[in-house]
Amino acid sequence: MNLLNLSIAQMFDFAAPILFAALGGVVSENAGVVNIALEGIMRFAAFFGVWGAFIGKNPWMGLLWGLLIGAAVGALHGYISVTWAGDQIVSGVAINVVAMGIITYLLEFVFKTTGYSPPVPYFGAAHYRVHISFISKIPILGAFSNLTLLVWFSLIAVGLIHFMLYHTVLGLRIRAVGENPHAAETLGVNVMKIKWFATILGSVLAAFGGISLSLGTLSSFTNAMPMGKGFIGLAAMIFGKWTPIGALLASLVFASAQIVQLLLQGMASGIAKQIPLGFYLALPYLLTIGALIGVVGRAVPPASDGIPYKKEG
Amino acid sequence: MKALELKGITKQFPRVLANDHINLSIEKGEIFSIVGENGAGKSTLMKIVYGLYTPTSGEIYVFGKKVNMKSPHDAIKLKIGMVHQEFMLIPRFTVTENIVLGDEPRKGIVFDFKRAVKEIREISEKFGLKVDPLEKVANLPVGIQQRVEILKILRRGAEILIFDEPTAVLTPEETEDLFKTLRALKKDGKTILFISHKLKEVMEISDRIAVLRRGKLQGVVKKEETNERELARMMVGREVVLEIPRVKVEKGPVVLSVRDLAAKDHRGILKLKGVSFDVHAGEIVAIAGVEGNGQMELVNSLIGFTRPVKGKIVLNGEEMKLITPYNVRRKGMAYIPEDRKRRGLVLPFKIRENIIMGQHTLYPFSKGGILNDKVINEFATKQVEEFDIRPRDIYINAGNLSGGNQQKVILAREMAMKHNFLLASQPTRGLDIGAMEFVYKHLIEEKKKGIAILLISLELSEVLGLADRILVMYEGEIVGETVPEETNEEELGMMMLGIKRKERLVQ
Repeated sequence: MNLLNLSIAQMFDFAAPILFAALGGVVSENAGVVNIALEGIMRFAAFFGVWGAFIGKNPWMGLLWGLLIGAAVGALHGYISVTWAGDQIVSGVAINVVAMGIITYLLEFVFKTTGYSPPVPYFGAAHYRVHISFISKIPILGAFSNLTLLVWFSLIAVGLIHFMLYHTVLGLRIRAVGENPHAAETLGVNVMKIKWFATILGSVLAAFGGISLSLGTLSSFTNAMPMGKGFIGLAAMIFGKWTPIGALLASLVFASAQIVQLLLQGMASGIAKQIPLGFYLALPYLLTIGALIGVVGRAVPPASDGIPYKKEG
Repeated sequence: MKALELKGITKQFPRVLANDHINLSIEKGEIFSIVGENGAGKSTLMKIVYGLYTPTSGEIYVFGKKVNMKSPHDAIKLKIGMVHQEFMLIPRFTVTENIVLGDEPRKGIVFDFKRAVKEIREISEKFGLKVDPLEKVANLPVGIQQRVEILKILRRGAEILIFDEPTAVLTPEETEDLFKTLRALKKDGKTILFISHKLKEVMEISDRIAVLRRGKLQGVVKKEETNERELARMMVGREVVLEIPRVKVEKGPVVLSVRDLAAKDHRGILKLKGVSFDVHAGEIVAIAGVEGNGQMELVNSLIGFTRPVKGKIVLNGEEMKLITPYNVRRKGMAYIPEDRKRRGLVLPFKIRENIIMGQHTLYPFSKGGILNDKVINEFATKQVEEFDIRPRDIYINAGNLSGGNQQKVILAREMAMKHNFLLASQPTRGLDIGAMEFVYKHLIEEKKKGIAILLISLELSEVLGLADRILVMYEGEIVGETVPEETNEEELGMMMLGIKRKERLVQ
C-alpha cells in the first residue's frame, strides 16, 4: 500500500472511536438527552472489552463484554437523567469521574499491572480484518482493502442511524421528543420509553467506540484511554449539526488532523523543527476548537436538548 | 345527547384548590364556552378533561359512558382533542410530520411520508382548513399554526374539541377565520369547548356559557339570556367598569420626539419605514395597528434593542445618540414590555428581586456592589401592598404568579422608577378584565401626573378609550392620525388594513 492509501486507512482507524462517540451523541441528543458520560462509557467499554477478550481468548467476547457494560452504564445515566429527571450534566460528570477511578483500580486488580494491560486477541489482527484484495492497488479506493471490522461497523452505523432517524416512525418520534416532549406526549408518544431507548442505544454506540480504542488497532488497554475521544466525539456531533452524516464528516476532519500531525512531525525540517512537539500533539484539538468557534453559532441543537422532562400533573 | 358530563370534579394542588366540585353537562353539537379570570381554574378543568391531570375526586362521562383517563392518549381514544394555548407544535418539523406524529402511516418500520402528505391534503380539503403539508411549521403565521393544531386533532377523529384561549395569540382577522372554522365544525356535529376571558368573543360564538370564579362554578347561562356586563360581574364577583373614564389633562411640553425613524427586524427586513411623531407631557398617544406592522421595531428602537437605520429620537430635549436600555432609562423612560414573561420579568427570580431590577445598582438598593436586603424588602413589601400583588409574599417566584399579578409587579417596578416618559407596549395583553381595569387605572394616574405615554396596542377599544391622539401604523408607516372623538372602530380598522388614510395636521 502506498503512503496515501495508508494514510487514509489510518484516518479511518483514528476516526472510528470519535465517530462512534459522535453517533452515540447524535442518537441521545436527538431525543433530548445530553450524555457527556460518553467519555466514561468509552473507558468502561475499552477496559471490559480487553478483559472479555482476555478471558474468552477472542475479541468477540471482548466486544460482548464492552457493549454490555456500555449499556449498563448508559442505564445508570438513563435512570438518573430520564427516570429521575436529574441534571444530565451532573450525571455525566459523575459517571466520568467514577469511570476514571474504578477502571484504574480494576486494571490493577484484574491484570496486576499499572498503566496498561497485557496484549489480548484483537480486531486489528490480520485474520479479523476485512480483506478486499482486488482494490488494494487502486489509489484512494485501496485504503478500504484492509480495514478492521470495527471501522466497517462505524461506517455502516452511520447509514443505519441516518435511516432510523429520518425514515422510520421510531426516528420521527425520537426527534419529536428531543424537540418538544410535551407535544409528543399529548399525541400519545411514550416520551420516557423513547428517551430510555435513545440513551441506551447512544451508550452502546459509545461502547463500540471504546472497544475500537483498545481492540481496534491496539491490542491492550492503556490507563489514559479514552484520552478525550468521547468529548471530541461530542464536538464532532455539534460540528456535524446533530446528524449522523455530519458526524461522519466531522470525525473524518478531526481524524485527518491527527494524520497531518503525524506527517508534519515526521517531515518537520528547518524552522518547523523549532516548533515544540506539544504543538503537533495539540493540533487536532486546536482544530476542534477552531471548528467549533467557526460553526457552533450556526448549529442549532434540538430544542429540548438537555432539559429534563417531567410529566405534568 | 350529552357529549360530556362532569360530576363533582375537584382538583387540589399543594397550595390551591383549582377546581371545587364542578358539575357541567355539555350537549353534542354545541359550542360551550367556559369563562373566568386568569387563575379561575378553566385551564385546569380542561386539562382534566384531556387526561393531562387526574382529578382529586369526581366523575367524567363521555357520550354517556363513565371514563377514567390517565393520559392524553386515553382522551384521544375517547375522541377528545385539545388545541392548547401554547401550541404543541414542533417548529422544525413539517406540517405533515406535526399532524401525524404519534399515529404515523407506515410501511413496516418505515415512516410513509408520501402517504402522510396525501392524508393531510385530503383531511385539509374535507374540513376546509387550508395548509401546505410540506411547509415547516416555523415558517407559518400563528393563525395557520393553529389550523395545524386543529387538523391534528381532527385527524384523530376528535368529536369533542377543546380550545384553550385560542384567540389570545390571533389577530382580529385570524380570529374571524377561526370562528368560521368553529361554526363549520359545529355544523359537522362536533362538540366545541371554548375557553376564554374575552367576553365579546364568547358572546359572539357560544351557545351556552359557564362562568368560573376561584375554582367554583358560578353558573351556566344561555347566550341569548345574558350580556357582557352580567358575565363580567359573575366572573369578577362585583360590578366591573368596562368603560374607561375620560380624563382631560392640560398638555405639557414635548417629552419624546421621533423624526423619520426607520429600523429593521432581526432578519434584516426593513419593518419601520420612517415615522415621525411627538408625545407631550400629560398625553397618551396610542399606536394602533395589526401586529407585525412595525410596532415591535419602533419599541425596540426606542428602548435600545435595535439600532435604527436612520432617524432621530429626542428625549427630554436631548438627542439620543447611543441608545441602550440603560441610557434611556437614566434619561427618564419607563417601559412596560409586550411580553412580560420574556422581557418583563426573570421568572425564576423572586418578586423582591424583580421589583428592583434596573435600579439594583443604585442607592439605596445597593452600595458599592452590595445589595441592601433591608431596604429592598421594605420597598418590595410597600409596592406589593400598594399594587395589590397577590399573594402578598415578596419571596415567591415571579413565574408562580398569575398573568395579572406578574403585570402588577412590572407596573410596581416601572412606576417607581424615576421617569417622565412611559412606553407601554400592549400592557393588557393576555390579561383578564380585573387586571385590565387595574392597568387602565394606573395609566390614567400616570397621565394625571404629567407623564408622557406612548401606548402600543392591538385592542381598538383600549386605543379609543385611553388615547388623546391615535396614530395608525400600517406596513411600517403612520397612515393615519386622529383623535378618539373623531373616529370609530370601523374607521380605525380600515386604516389598520391599509384601506384608508387620514392625515391630520400636527399642531
